[in-house]
Amino acid sequence: MSRKKEILKTATLLFATNGFKETSMAEVAKASNVASATIFYHFNTKDDLFLSVLSNVKDSILEEFSHYFGEKKFASGLEMLDASVSFYLYLAGSKTEWFLLLHRYYPYKLAEENEICRRYLEDIYNCFVDIFEKALSEGQSDGSVRELSPRKTALVILSTVDGIVRFKNCNLYDAGALYNELIACIRQMAANQNQKQ
Amino acid sequence: MSIITIMSGAYCNSETVIQKCAAQTGFRRIDDPMIVAEAARISGISDRKIQGAFSAKTSIFNQFTHEKERSIAYLRLVLAGMLDADDLIIDGLTGLLIPDTISHVLRVCIIADMKYRLLAAQQQEKVSEKEAAALIRRQDENIAAWTGAVRGATDPWEPALYDIMIPTDKISDSEAVALITQHAASEVVRRTGRSRQAVSDFQLAARAGEALANAGHNVATSAKNATVRITINKHVMLLSRLEEELKEIVMKISGVAAVETGVGENFHQPDIYRKYDFQMPAKILLVDDEREFVQTLSERLIMRDMGSAVAYDGESALSMVDEEEPEVMILDLKMPGIDGIEVLRKVKQTRPDIEVIILTGHGSEADRQICMELGAFAYLHKPVDIDVLSKTLKAANEKVQKKGDGLKAEG
Repeated sequence: MSRKKEILKTATLLFATNGFKETSMAEVAKASNVASATIFYHFNTKDDLFLSVLSNVKDSILEEFSHYFGEKKFASGLEMLDASVSFYLYLAGSKTEWFLLLHRYYPYKLAEENEICRRYLEDIYNCFVDIFEKALSEGQSDGSVRELSPRKTALVILSTVDGIVRFKNCNLYDAGALYNELIACIRQMAANQNQKQ
Repeated sequence: MSIITIMSGAYCNSETVIQKCAAQTGFRRIDDPMIVAEAARISGISDRKIQGAFSAKTSIFNQFTHEKERSIAYLRLVLAGMLDADDLIIDGLTGLLIPDTISHVLRVCIIADMKYRLLAAQQQEKVSEKEAAALIRRQDENIAAWTGAVRGATDPWEPALYDIMIPTDKISDSEAVALITQHAASEVVRRTGRSRQAVSDFQLAARAGEALANAGHNVATSAKNATVRITINKHVMLLSRLEEELKEIVMKISGVAAVETGVGENFHQPDIYRKYDFQMPAKILLVDDEREFVQTLSERLIMRDMGSAVAYDGESALSMVDEEEPEVMILDLKMPGIDGIEVLRKVKQTRPDIEVIILTGHGSEADRQICMELGAFAYLHKPVDIDVLSKTLKAANEKVQKKGDGLKAEG
């Protein structure tokens, strides 16, 4: 791994767990085992480092999604919805630091004045919602999903699923125990009851 | 003929003036309760809730229910529908909803000074001065909140909102009526083709506003020549998604030729690149076998916001050129192993884009010539003034950036 990637990885972890304000460039340097000069060599300021971290998280998320959904075939839109929810939870479980970072308030605050940051966040969330929306729209075409607004419902599903991730990351409850209920709830919300399954 | 809107403060004797105006002009009088009743009828929202739109108090649930915005949307819709008619006196707060583009509307404000209003309130309500003051304050607060919500103005008596101000504490009823009726008959407030178009645009914007409010959105709408403009007055991360949704809702309305969306002032401006310097820093590679000297130099460069990597001999310098991809290099000539001139030669052969600044303690004029011929950017002597060095670095970096931009432009 290149030194720059090493620094980004460490910085992601520190920003995610300790937050932007509580992380210093010196700490990032120390934790990634490089001289502070090297950090400044690659990133001009802490904001630069943060934006690079976010950009990196964005690219990785987009890649994960296109990798998974690029090749997979689903029997119906409803099946795809199930898979999307599972995939989101799987990703949140294996890449905890990405989601911890996204659950921090700082990125959204920064986005109010920083266009680049806003665009990264928009890309990330669009990627999330697009999958749910696509599943719902396809489900409506094949009859597995009932009459509803795919755009709005996709946002409601994302906030529900992401809420479960937050439950897990903050140790509010054993979120794993909620998995089956979550899938059942979302299925019930979207499924076309008239269609025989 | 034209339309008169009259906005008035409480206890300013406006009722008498309005009645006389109506009698003299023969115009039909429309007031807030009539508009509220009609808005309630077509929306199915209760009168009381619609009336709540005029109150400074907002329900804590409003940010989810958007009841206030829905009420305003219906008030606007009803009012817009009434503007097809002429010869109207629209008395009350709703008049402020009419956009300035409708030029055949005479906008009147009836107001008096506090002393006059206090006295009037005491006489009418048979209350003490203190109670009268509280009554007036409460009404003014509501009116100010309404003006703020629909016009973005903090002062409801701001002259810019009106065509004429009538100070009832200074002039008599008949003088006030004469002023209003004269102005209403003036050429300036005649209906024209353009103002007729403005009315139909206002009606279109009102219909769009109603559709959006019913879908749960809280956005501002206006229209010009059948193109509806939606303004989002809040921070939204998923902006393009929201804009798509808004457009979809409005495009379904008959008479809409096109829809534009935008973000209000002070919020995310997607088309404006916020002033933020995201240019990558110059990546500098320092090559010198005097460890203490390079360390100090590196630290001083960091203080000037320039990041640098360090190599202590020619060999590691060459491998770092591949690893770290520097843009600018500061190179000593005299080093063990591969010397500076050799490093320069190799760098310029393999990575001609890297600008090399020679910094040496012992170099001769012949060395200088060789280096410049090999393509060095500058040739400096030790000890070097840090300001001279950073200026040279800046110049080298600018050259690198320009080259990069040139490549981008070509590509």
